[in-house]
This record gives sequence, structure tokens and C-alpha cells, in this order.
Amino acid sequence: MRVFYRRLPKFQYIAVRSLDEALAFLAEHRGKAKVLAGGTDLVPQLKKREIELPACVVDLKAIPGLDVISHDRQSGLVLGALATINAVGQNRVVEEKFKALSQAALSMASPQVRNRGTIAGNICNAVPSADSAPALLALNASVKIKGPKGERTVPLDQFFTGPRTTVLGADELLYEILVPNQDRASRGVYLKLSPRHSMDLAVVGVAAVGLLEDGICKAVKIALGAVAPTPVRAPMAEALLTGKVITQGLIDEAARNALTQCSPIDDHRASREYRCDMVYAMTRRALAHIFGR
Amino acid sequence: MKEYSVIGTRVPRIDAREKVMGEAKYAADYSLPGMLWCKVARSPYAHAKILNIDTSKAERLPGVKAVVTGKDFNGWTWGFMATTRDEPPLAVDKVRYMYEGVAGVAAIDEETAEEACSLIEVEYEELPGVFDPEEAMKEGAPIIHAYRPNNVSVEYHWNFGDVDKAFADSYIVREDRFETGRVVTGFLEPPASLAYYDPSGQITVWAAKQSPYFHYRHLAGCFGVPLSKVRVIQPYIGGGFGGTKNDSVAGDFCVVMLSKKTGKPVKYIYTMDEVLTTCRRRHNMTVYNKMGMTKDGILTAIETKVIGHGGAYTAIGPLTMFLTGYGTPAPYRLPNYKYDAWRVFTNNPVSAAMRGHGFTHTRFACDIQMAMIAEELGIDPVEIMMRNAIDNPKRGDVYRAVNGFKLKTCGIKEAIKAVAEDTLWADRKKMPTEDGPISYGVGISGTGYHGGARQLGHQACAAIIRVCEDGTVNLLTGATDCGQGSDTVLSMMAAEELGVRYEDISIKRVDTAYTPVDPGSYGSRVTLLAGQATQLAARDAKKQLLEAGAKAWGVKPDEIEITNGVVSLKGNPERRMSFEKLAKIACYEGAGAVILGRGHSDYGVEEHLDFNNGTGEGGINFSFTSQTVRLGVDMETGKLDVTDFTIAHDCGFPLHPVSVESQNEGGAVQGLGQTIYEGFIMENGRTYNSTMLDYKMPRSTDIPTIKLINIITDDPDGPFGAKEASEGSIVSTPPAVIDALHSATGIWFKELPVTPEKIVKGLKEKGKWMK
Amino acid sequence: MKEIRLNVNGTEYDIAVRPHATLLEVLREDLGLIGTKEGCGEGECGACTVIIEGKAANSCIVLALEADGKEVTTIEGLADGGKLHPIQEAFVEIGGLQCGFCTPGMILSTKVLLDANPNPTDEEIKKGLEGNFCRCTGYTKIIESVKVAARKVRG
Repeated sequence: MRVFYRRLPKFQYIAVRSLDEALAFLAEHRGKAKVLAGGTDLVPQLKKREIELPACVVDLKAIPGLDVISHDRQSGLVLGALATINAVGQNRVVEEKFKALSQAALSMASPQVRNRGTIAGNICNAVPSADSAPALLALNASVKIKGPKGERTVPLDQFFTGPRTTVLGADELLYEILVPNQDRASRGVYLKLSPRHSMDLAVVGVAAVGLLEDGICKAVKIALGAVAPTPVRAPMAEALLTGKVITQGLIDEAARNALTQCSPIDDHRASREYRCDMVYAMTRRALAHIFGR
Repeated sequence: MKEYSVIGTRVPRIDAREKVMGEAKYAADYSLPGMLWCKVARSPYAHAKILNIDTSKAERLPGVKAVVTGKDFNGWTWGFMATTRDEPPLAVDKVRYMYEGVAGVAAIDEETAEEACSLIEVEYEELPGVFDPEEAMKEGAPIIHAYRPNNVSVEYHWNFGDVDKAFADSYIVREDRFETGRVVTGFLEPPASLAYYDPSGQITVWAAKQSPYFHYRHLAGCFGVPLSKVRVIQPYIGGGFGGTKNDSVAGDFCVVMLSKKTGKPVKYIYTMDEVLTTCRRRHNMTVYNKMGMTKDGILTAIETKVIGHGGAYTAIGPLTMFLTGYGTPAPYRLPNYKYDAWRVFTNNPVSAAMRGHGFTHTRFACDIQMAMIAEELGIDPVEIMMRNAIDNPKRGDVYRAVNGFKLKTCGIKEAIKAVAEDTLWADRKKMPTEDGPISYGVGISGTGYHGGARQLGHQACAAIIRVCEDGTVNLLTGATDCGQGSDTVLSMMAAEELGVRYEDISIKRVDTAYTPVDPGSYGSRVTLLAGQATQLAARDAKKQLLEAGAKAWGVKPDEIEITNGVVSLKGNPERRMSFEKLAKIACYEGAGAVILGRGHSDYGVEEHLDFNNGTGEGGINFSFTSQTVRLGVDMETGKLDVTDFTIAHDCGFPLHPVSVESQNEGGAVQGLGQTIYEGFIMENGRTYNSTMLDYKMPRSTDIPTIKLINIITDDPDGPFGAKEASEGSIVSTPPAVIDALHSATGIWFKELPVTPEKIVKGLKEKGKWMK
Repeated sequence: MKEIRLNVNGTEYDIAVRPHATLLEVLREDLGLIGTKEGCGEGECGACTVIIEGKAANSCIVLALEADGKEVTTIEGLADGGKLHPIQEAFVEIGGLQCGFCTPGMILSTKVLLDANPNPTDEEIKKGLEGNFCRCTGYTKIIESVKVAARKVRG
């Protein structure tokens, strides 16, 4: 029977006050508990019965200090798991020093969703089109995870394993995102392609962060969203550019190469052919932007 | 220009206060003590026989009070015409579209009702489905309705003049195939109804209906209850735009039946997903258009073949296919015209009416084809439009179209001139055409749309004016304001006719127990027809008041005038009293009286619509719109930035300028959505994009700057000279956007929606991508 | 059932709610505040917009429990008795509404926008309202209403 649900399914709810308390509940419910931060992914998914019904929803928002955004010369940018998309996107330091991340954050959804949704949630939900992911990948971010066996740090480019899947265990929590300081002269951008000017998922998302010195590319990172089972880097395209004099022709070549490192699909949002064409077009555009052409 | 006291002024909407305060109540906002919640359970198959339905587990779930299935309705079906009553409230022997309603549950709360639905077990025998109309018309295709073995729901063949000879004599003839998109109204308020079937056998519903009287007839027929015992009370309505809310849906019938079974009030509210998958959509159509012109660009003939994608039931299809062909002979003179149309059943959700009903598809095709021919002939687009445009008839003259409809006013030439002289078109060559990867283009269109739909006898409507003893006025009509602002306009008309202030009019919400019949909001008829009824009712009340005043002053009634609430003697204005005083005199002098004015729309239907031959008068007059569009195409990604619209609209006379503007702006943005963003992605009857994320309607950041120009033609048949101002701009926008796209890319796009992907594909085919 | 305290429009309510009840349901069905509407139910349309601790949120995807102890403003909290808030006045004057279903959410998003940015440009207004869908007006008179509201609020 097809039923269009207006109501949420029944579940238990607990508001925890510490990470350890949260972990205890996750362990107790052995994979049948779901973590609640902003709820902007979880609640719609529950309503539409898209995910397995959790026995318990564990609300993290009472954990003090988990929403802090901090920055210093040693650690770089540190985002707590509860830092909202708007808080990150509108943060002065993020806007100035981690521009791709700010642009990605402010390109997402609506003010209402950005006020409650978190960057950590965006990553953990792990849809291939997640906007914060390419930006964070291009900024060389890593995540800190805590579980029953202790803590570990995972570079973001090892975090995603497939559409909606990550290395995060059912009894683990992602509690911090670390973004290392970038070179002062580096430039970054996040370009999101979608049909409308708001409220769309990316058909293709491209983040590029690069450092140009005397016309030579000293370093560059290119990351793509919505064109592979996970957000991906394009290391071969990066290698084509690194150490070379940047020309329009080289940018074009790198953009074409980026295509070889992704595997877009046909779905109701776009065809494979269009996504491929757009990887080329948008990567070219992003590179031109950061290299000032 | 005529000066009015109220008409033509920028009064605030009569219901604005309630709405901005959150006090306006919509159907879902109503509750009654002891109320149960209803949920509709739906078929997972697009085409299947129902072999057995087992509701026992659902019935046993604690909190469930009743379950209904198709059989409970005893074979009753409904439809637009007596010969097309093919739709049951819930599927009976088979389902014909995916998620068609199969059962309804009433429970103490909505969650329990939802859970119960998942416990209903249905045994289906899946049948092969057919989803493309041209496939459905083939020999051997699955038969969707036994009474239409070739799956053709509606078929018309019209012939006026001699198209073959005209084409043979033409200098140029073009044949093109166009497709309009699978789009939907997109109202924000999902359908909902609270129903109570009381012990005396009276049905009362608070339902989101823009045609409450259609619904009351459906309920009377379905439940065998006399009309006098069916009470449809109209809450505020969160948008209509035609189609679904002019009709009834599964939930509507379920709640009444469940209330009958349980003796309790029952409420349902649809979800947006449910709306976007199961409710009525605009017909999408394949239009094969053939157009002939002389060397000077004068239209000689049009031959149109249309295939309407009908979906699973007939609904209002017969009217849709009539209107699709009806408007083609305007706004350009057309001496020869042939129209062949088929509406075909498919196992898809039902196609029905939507704003710009019918005309949208063919004006789209014809307007673009005219522009294509202009390009081939080397004639300026404005010039070709002006050479063919129907002239505004002189007062007393009538223009008769080749299929018989009449125009007494036609402002198309003034409209085209106005947008052509406006800077967007006039200075387009001075504006930048390129900026990085963006290519800018400007396009133009000229279209018309009829108003005052009045096809058959059951379209009658009336109004009652009750003058209260203190001089304030109650206005009762059955006319529905679903957001378009008709309550405001009708109140303005009543005030103007009576000579009182707008603030003194109180228009009551529709309640079929008390308000006189009106078919509702569609075909841009409320301002024109309910408006006329309101005028006549006001004049009737005024007559009674003037008689009382004449008696009091010892004069003749026609010596008295009333303006702005002041009653005075025409010959001696110092002899005066307030309207309140006059009302008191009329009500209390002598034996006293109750001042009730009554009026009904008496626009006769001199020529009945003949669907089969394409003749008759569909409405009382036509509006005309010319529009220009400026947009930028990102030539690498295909993404569009629509920057400007200029719209010149001939609505006869703008009775409430704020509403006219808002309707033109809203219609244009809705039309834009349907041209470049919106379209259901279907496969084998399943809708893949049934959420607001993926069925992409325009958001605030998508809109152009809109400039509006009023063209005044003062139509003799419209109240205060009015013609429609609701649908013109949804018809004019798509062809103007396509023309602008051609201007920017050199490509004629003929299939809607024109998405970025389609644009890139087109550019690639022409070798214009990523140069 | 859990006991929570909701501060809605300056009034405190002590109510028992189920864990899976949304803030929207509790506002409408438990507190009878029907001004906040349900459109899409999944945070896409903004019809259910309320202000929580000064920030706009889609109440259809906020659990009631998440609002425990928080200050919530709904459309009913804007007018002062019978006196309309300047934003409401502006929408009435300009006609920034038709069917009115998006209006409560649109007005609250406008309030949040103007609180942060008292003199927004057209672009800033459009971006600030991108989470609020309207099908009737084509947004044009809504944007005009916001500009008039901004002038009124600035005084």
C-alpha cells in the first residue's frame, strides 16, 4: 500500500549533555539510534520513511561547546559538530581565509535550513552533491571521530565510502572538523551549478583552491560534487597544473582531465552527458577564477 | 476617461488584514470536537485489476473507527459531461494510475490512520500499462476504459474555410512539432476537507474548493442527498489556479463517507508529495502546427493537430480540447482554420484544467511559428504582428472570428505598440548582448485569452445585496476568491453601484446553504459574471432605497443620487442626508422593509458551444497581452538569468489596479516556471520528481524585474468595461521567452521546459558550445 | 510523553508532547495557533516558518522537544493587540499577498531579514526570502512590501 505520510513515526528521544553520554546511547542501541543535530536531513527522511526507523533519536544540541567555531595560527579552523551552516558561512574568518567553504555554505538551501543544519551533518549525510564536501576537500580538511575505542582523525578524502555511506561506525560520532590554514596568497572558490538560483541540489559542484606565484601554480586542489558516488578530488588534474606556468590552454587541459576522475550518472535531475560536459565547463571556470584569468 | 469613486482605486485587499495576522482560516485550520482523521491508501501500480481488498487488520487496529473502499460508493462515478462520468471516488475494479486511491481510513488521530493504511492488504493483478498517447492509440494497446476501446477520450475535427487551397496559394508554409510540458498548478495549500454527515442526513464540509458548487453537486450525487442538504462552507483558499480545486478528490469523498459511517466529523489533509503525484495536472500536449503566409507576412491558414495527454480519467478534458483550438483565430486575423484534436488516455495522473486553459498550448505554437516565418521572410517581428493583428473594433462594431466568436474590443495593437516602444525592445540593440559566457536576448509575443467563461446553462450565477439597517451592506455571492482578489473587486463594484464607501461593504464567504449558486473560479469568470450579478443586485437594492428616499422627500427616484455615502438631490445638492439615514428610513418607515437586492448574470449564451464543430461563444470577451522578455543564457552551462519582463495587458479597464498588477506578475512568473524550470519526469506512470526540491517552481531569486502597462479599451460587455486579468500573462510569457532564447542563441526551442541541459544540447548540435 | 515549556509570543506554556511531534503540530494542534501553515512538510517551502531564538526556522522539521525552553515567535506574536506591526502594515498597503497562505512565513522571514539588515537591496531581499515559496504573486509585490516595511521600521 502506498501511503503518503504527514506524521513522523514513533521514536524515543534523549537530549544528551556530553559526547560520552551520546556514545553510550549509540552503543546501547547498537546501530538503532540516530543522531540529531540540525534535523534538516534526519527529520524529512524519517517523515518520508526513507530510512529505517530508529529506536531512539539522540539530540546533541545540549552538549556545551560543540558549536564553537575557532581559528588560530596553529590549529587552523576548527568547526564543532554543532556549528550551523549559517554560522560557518557568515563567519568573518571563514569568509576571508576559507572562501570556498563560506561560498559553499551560503549556497545551500534556505536561511531557515542554514540556521539549524550543521556542516558536520551535511558531511555525515554524505549525499554525493553535499555542497560543503568539495570545499572542505579542496581545503584539505579532516574530521575527528570519537567512538568506544577512542578517538581518530580521518582526512576527509578518506571519509566518504559511497552514496550516503562513510567510515563512521554506528557507535561513533564526528565531533570536529579541522581545516588547516591555507597559504595567505591562495585563492579559493566554490561553484554550484543548478537550474534555479536557490533551493536546488548541485547538478555539479566544483571547489578549487590554489596558489599562484609569478604565474606558476605552486599548489592546487580541485574537488567535485554530484558527479561520483562520493565527493571526489581530481588529483591527476591537480598534477597537470602543479609547478607549471598557468595558461588558458593548461586550464582547459586540466578541466578535461578532471572528467576522467569522476563517474556521473543519469538520473531525473540530469543526464550523464550533461554532467560530464559541466564538469569540464565548471572546472575550467573555477580554475580561471582562482588563477585570475 | 470615466471617473469612479471606488473602481480603479488602489484600495487594500478586503481580506489583507486577516491574512497578515495569521487569522484567516483555511480548510486544514478547522477542527470539531470528536473529530477523526482520514488517510487515503493508494495503489502502488499504474494499471492493475483489484482482485481483493482485505481491510480486517486495519479495522482491528486500536483507534481505527471505520474503513471504506471503492465498493462503498455503489458504483457512483462522476465527470464533466453526462457521457464521460468515468471516475469513481476510490478505484473499484481496477486502478488506472499510480497511487490512485483504493481505500480510506478514519481513526482517532492521523498517525493511527496512516498505520492502518499500511495494514490494508490488496490483491492486484498487474496489467500492462501504456504511458505514451501515440502508443495508446495503436492497435493492441492496453485498454484503459472499456467504453473507449481505442483509448481516445475526446476527439474533435473542425474545419473553417479552405486550408488546403489557402496553403497552396501561400508563399510560405511551415510545419513544426511543439510540446508543452507536464506541469501543475503548484498551489501552496494542499487539498483538505473537514466533513460532518449529521444524523439528520445533512452533509457539511469545510473544503478547499474554488468551485464549491461543483463539489456540492458531486456530494449530492454521490451520497443521494438533496442539494438543499449539502452545505459546502468555504474557508480561505491557499491558491487554486484551476484543475484540482475546481474538482473533487478521493479524500473529499472518503471523509464524507467515513463521517456517515462513524457519526463523527472527519478531516483529511493531503501532503505536498501526494498533490504532486496524484492530483490534477495541466494537460501536456503535442502540437503539430502548419502555418501559411503570403510574401508580405499575412496569415493565410493554420492547420493544427493536437494530441492531448489525458491521463487516466476524462475529467474536464472535453472542455480542454475545445479551448485548445478555440482561441487560435485571435489575436491575428485568420481566414482559414482546421483543427484536429485527440485527447488520449494513458496510465498517468489525470490531466485537467489550469490557468490559461487550452489556449496556452496553441498560442505557444502559433506565436513562435509566426516569429519563425518572420525570420525566414526577413520581416521585423513587430511589423509582422502588426500586419496581422486584429484592429480594435469601433464602438458598435463587432469583429467575428472564423469560428464564430465575437470581439467588441481588441487592444492587441496598442499592446504591441506599447511594448515595442518600451526601452526593453526599443533599445535592445543598444544593450549589451554578451558579457563573458552570457549571451543576452530579447523576445516578444502577442496573445489573447478569453474571460467570462459561460459555456452551458449550469454556469449561472447570482448575488444578493442586503442593506443593513445602519447603512452598511452585506454582499452574498457564490463566487470564490481563491486568492486572486475577486472578493475585493466584487466589494468595490457593490460600493460603486450603491454609491457607498468600499469600507461599508462586507462580503460573506461562500456557504452553499446561504449564498446563491456560482460555478466558481475558472475561465476568468468571477469579475465578469459574478461582477455583473453583483452590479445588478446592487442596482436592485438601490432602486428600493431610492423609492423610499423619493417618498421621504416627495420627489421622483431618478432625481436622487448617491455618492460616497451621501444621498442628495441632483437638482439641489444641498438637500442631502447620509446613506445611513436613507437606510433607516427605508427599513423603519411605515410598516418597515427589508432591503434585499437580487441580481443574476444575464449574459445569455446566444450560441451554445458545439465541441464537435468548434463553434459557439466560450466567454464574453477577450483580453490581449503583448510581452517582451530579456534574458541571459550562460552559453557554457545553459543556465538562464531572466532579467526583465515588460507586459502590456488589455483588461478593458483595471477595476482594482493592485490586483491586476499582482495577477499579471504572478501569471508571468508561473508561466516562466512552466517554460524553463518545471516538468514532471515520468517513467511507466511513476513520477520521479514529486517534491518541491525537484519539481522546480520559481523562487524569489529567479524572478525578473517586471514592468506593467495597462491598455484601456473599455469593453461594453464587461462590468465597468472590464475584461479578464488573470490568465493573459501566463499565455504570453512562454512564447516571449522562447523568442528571447532564439535571440540569444539562434535556436528555436519547441519543447518545454527548456532546461539548461536542453540548451547545451541545442548549442552542441549547432556547434556553438564552448567555443 | 515529555513535559516541556514553550515560550510562544511571550506566553509560557507547560505542555506534554510526544517525542515525535513536530513544533508545527504542537503550535497548531495543542496551542491552537493556526497562523503557522503546513505546505510541503519537509522544509522546502517556508510556509511553516517561525522564529526560534531570533532565527528563522521551518517548524515542520523541528521536533517540539527541540524547542523546550526556547523563545518562539509565530505570526500571531507580531501585532500588538489590534495594531499591526509595520511589516504587516506594509504588506497590506502594497498588496504583497494574494491567497495569503505563504504570508505568515513570508512576514516572519521579513522580520528576521530586517532585524539583521535594516536597509536591504532588492538582491538581499530576494536572497533573504529564498526559503519562502509563493505561487500567486510572482514575489514582485512582496519585495516592494519589504522595502516599504524597511522604511517604516527605520522610522
